[in-house]
Amino acid sequence: MSESHEIDRRTFLSQGAKVGGALVLAGAAGSALAACGSSSSGSSTTVPSSGSAPGVGTGTPVKGGSLTVGTVAEIDGFYPPSNHWDTNGFLYANTLYDPLCAIAADGSIQPYLCESVTPNATYDTWTMTLRPNIKFSDGSDLTAAVVVSNSTELKASLLTGQALVQVTSVTATDPMTVVYQLEAPNPGFAAGLTTQVGYIVGQSMIDSVKAGNKTPTPVGTGPFVFQSWQPNDHFTATRNPNYWRAGLPYLDQITFRPIPDTIQRESTLKTGGVDMIESTDPDTINRFKGQSGYQLVDSTTGVLGEPTVAFIMLNTVVAPTNDITIRTALAQSLDQATVQKIFGGGLTKPISGLFLPGSEYYSDSGYPAYNPAAAKALVAKYTAQHGQPKLTLLTITDPRLAQVVQIIQQMWNQVGFDVTISQIEQANLINDFIAGEFQAATSYQFGTIDPDLNYVWWSTTTAKPVGSIALNFARNSDPVIEQAMLTGRHTTDQATRVQAYQTVNQQLAKDLPYLWLQQYLFSEVATSRVQNFANPTLPSGAKQYAFDEGIFVPTQIWLSK
Amino acid sequence: MGKYLVRRVLQLVVVAFVISVLTFLLVHLLPGDPTTVILGPNDTAANRAILLKQLGLNYPLWRQYLTWLGAVFQGNLGTSYLNHESVTHILATGAPVDFELILISQVIAFAIAIPLALVTSRKPNKALDNVATTSTFGLLALPPFVVAPILVAVFAVGLGWFPATGYTPFTQNPAQNLHEMILPSLAITAGSIAVYYRLLRSDLISTLQQDFITMARSKGLSSPRIMWRHAFRPSSFSLLAAAGINIGALIAGTFVVELLFVLPGIGYALVQAVEQRDYLVVQGIALVVAIAYVLLQFIIDFIFTIVDPRVVRE
Repeated sequence: MSESHEIDRRTFLSQGAKVGGALVLAGAAGSALAACGSSSSGSSTTVPSSGSAPGVGTGTPVKGGSLTVGTVAEIDGFYPPSNHWDTNGFLYANTLYDPLCAIAADGSIQPYLCESVTPNATYDTWTMTLRPNIKFSDGSDLTAAVVVSNSTELKASLLTGQALVQVTSVTATDPMTVVYQLEAPNPGFAAGLTTQVGYIVGQSMIDSVKAGNKTPTPVGTGPFVFQSWQPNDHFTATRNPNYWRAGLPYLDQITFRPIPDTIQRESTLKTGGVDMIESTDPDTINRFKGQSGYQLVDSTTGVLGEPTVAFIMLNTVVAPTNDITIRTALAQSLDQATVQKIFGGGLTKPISGLFLPGSEYYSDSGYPAYNPAAAKALVAKYTAQHGQPKLTLLTITDPRLAQVVQIIQQMWNQVGFDVTISQIEQANLINDFIAGEFQAATSYQFGTIDPDLNYVWWSTTTAKPVGSIALNFARNSDPVIEQAMLTGRHTTDQATRVQAYQTVNQQLAKDLPYLWLQQYLFSEVATSRVQNFANPTLPSGAKQYAFDEGIFVPTQIWLSK
Repeated sequence: MGKYLVRRVLQLVVVAFVISVLTFLLVHLLPGDPTTVILGPNDTAANRAILLKQLGLNYPLWRQYLTWLGAVFQGNLGTSYLNHESVTHILATGAPVDFELILISQVIAFAIAIPLALVTSRKPNKALDNVATTSTFGLLALPPFVVAPILVAVFAVGLGWFPATGYTPFTQNPAQNLHEMILPSLAITAGSIAVYYRLLRSDLISTLQQDFITMARSKGLSSPRIMWRHAFRPSSFSLLAAAGINIGALIAGTFVVELLFVLPGIGYALVQAVEQRDYLVVQGIALVVAIAYVLLQFIIDFIFTIVDPRVVRE
C-alpha cells in the first residue's frame, strides 16, 4: 500500500539524478560563492544551542543508543556513480559518507570534507584543499587521488556523467589539493559538490565495482559504518569509532526501515517500532502537530531556495495545450484553494509561482487569478474556431490524487472543456514526460537550494519535439527564460540574479507550462527521546541547513535517557 | 496407485511447462520497455543497444525463453537490475516469512474452527451454532486489507499489545518473532476460520446422522469419543481439500499482509518489483510461486489418496 504521491517524488528525483549534471553543477548563488571561497580550518563539534524547539537538543548530549527511523521508500544502492539517490538516498549517504561541501543554515555553500574550495578570477578553475587526517572506514586516507578517482567514475557514469559535463579535468596537484578545470566560467560550481557527485567513497569501493561487484560494501568517511542492508527491510550502520569530527557521532547505531504506507509508518512510531519517521503526507503534520510526546519538524514554516511544488504540467507543443488561450483558460478555471483543501491538508497557501513569500526571489508573477467566467469565454472563443477542446489529464494511481484530478476535471468541464482522466503507472508517466506524450499531467518538482539548478528543466536547449527525449518535459521553449537563466548563472551580483529569476517566474506565468497547485510538504516526526535531529552544525561550527527537503544529518543526534 | 501417480506427475510437468511459458511471456506482454526505465534520459540508441544485449532482449523470443529456462534449471532466476540482488536470494530470504505466516495462520484457523465445529454440530441451529455461523459469515466478508488496519488500530496502537510493523527472524529471536507475527497471521486467518468451520460443521452434521454413529451411541460411547474417533475423520475430507485450495488464496493474502505490516516476504518483494518494473524479479517470483502452488496441490492430492483410497479407484 505504498503511496504513489510519495513514490512520485522519489521517482522524479531518481530520474532527476540521472540528469544530475545540469542540476548539480550548473551553478549556484553568488552568496554561496562568497562563503565557499572562505576557508575554514579544523573541525569543531560545537554542541548546538539548547532550546525547546522541535528537533533541537536540550541538555548535554548522551553517547550511545540505537535509533530506528521509518522512511518513505527504499533506495537502489550506495554507490554514487550508479545509484539513484532521492531523499532516502541522501539520508543513507549522510550516514555513511560525507560531502565535499554542505549547505549552511543561511543557504551558503560551506566546506565539509574539504577545508576550502576557491575559484580563480575567471571562475573556470576551482582549487580544493582537503582536510587532513581523515580516514575511510577501511582505514585508508582521504587524499586528492581518491577524490580524483571518484570524479573520474562519476564523470564516466551514464547516471552522473552529465553532472560533471562542464569539468574538463580533475587533477591532484599535491596529496591534499584537487584542481577542477571547467570548460566555461561557473561561479556556482561548489553548489554541485553538496549533491550526489560531492559524496566521496573509498578507493576500495571503487576498485570493487571495477572488479565487477555490483553490490560493493560501502566505504566512507561518514559518522557511521555500514553494518547490513536487506532491501525493503532495513539498513543498519554502527558508530564509526574513528570519525574525524571529534566526539561524534553520539549514537552507537542507526537503522532505517522503509515503511511505504503513511498510516503504518505512523502506527509504528506510536507503538515504538521506530523512534522517528519521515513523511510527505500533509496529514502527518496535522495528526502530530501539538501532540505531546512527539516532535514535529516540517517544511511549512521555512524553505531555503525554491520549494518542491505540485502542479499540472501542460505540453506546450501538442494540441490543444499548445494554444496559450487554452492554457490560460485552464489556469483561470483551476481553483487552487479548493485543490489545496483536499491535497494540502489545509496547510498550504496559494502560490503564484516558484517562490514562497519571504524569499528574496519572490515577486508578483502575474499568474492568472481564478476566474471561471473569463475561462469560459476563452473556451467559447476557441470552440468557435476549432471545436470543443478535448484533453486527457494524466495522473498516477493514488487515491488522493484521484480525488484532486476529478475535481480539476469538473472545474475544467464546467467552463467547456472535455476532460478525460487517465491513471497510469508511475514509471510510464515519467516515460511519457520524457517523450512528450501527454497533454496535461500531475507532477511535483523544482525543489532546490538554488534556482539555477533547475536550468535543465526550462532551457530551450532541452526542449525537443514530441517523441524525442527531452528534459524540458513541457517543451516550453522560451528565449526570455533561457536568457534569464543564463544571466542568473553567470552573474555574481545578487541583485541581478534576483531580477533574473523573477523574470523566469513571471515568464512561466505568461507561458503557463505549469499550473501551480501547492507547495509539496515534507515532515519528520520523532519521539521526545530523539534529540537534535534538526540542529546539525558544520565542521566549522556554523549551523548547517537542517531540513533540506526531508533530509536530515544523523551525526549529532542523540537519545535522551 | 503407481499408474495414478505417474499420470499426476505427467500432468504436473505439462502444467509446469505452461506456467513457465506464460510467466516468461507475461513480462514481455507488459506495456512499456524495461530499457526505457533503466536508461531514463540516457536512453540513446547506442546505450539501448548495449543494454538490450546485456539483457538478451535482442534475440528471438524462443531463444530468450530457452536461455531463461536453462538458467532457471541451474538455479539462476536472474538479478534485480535495481539493487543487483539475485532473485534466488530474494526468494530464499522471503520464503521463510511467507511460510511462517501461512503456517501460523493455519494453526490458528484449525485451532478455532475444529473445536467450534465439533461443539456446534452436536446441536445444530441452537443458540451457539447460530452465533458461530453468523460470526463466521462476517469473517468471510472481511478481506485481510480490512482486518489488518483494524487489528493494528486496536491491538497495536490502542492496547499496545503487539507491534504495528516489523519482523525479526525466528532464528534470531523466537519470542520476538512470534510476537511480531501474531497480528499479520490473524489478519489472513479470518477467512480460513470461516471456511473451515462451515465446511466441517456441515460434514459433521451429516456424519452424525449416519448409522455407525447411532451404533456407537447405542454402545454407550461418550460424546467426545464419538466426535473425535468416529465422526471427525470421515468429516475431514472436505476440510483437507479446502485447506489445500485455501493455500493458494493465502499466498495472495500474505502479499497484502506483508505490504501492510512491512514483512520482508516474497509478496512484499513482488509488489515492490512490480511497482518499479523490476522485470526479472517479477518473472522469477511469479514462476516460483506458481510452481510451488501446483506442487502443493499435487502433494495434497497425494495425501488424499492415503486418507481416502477411493480417489485412486475413481
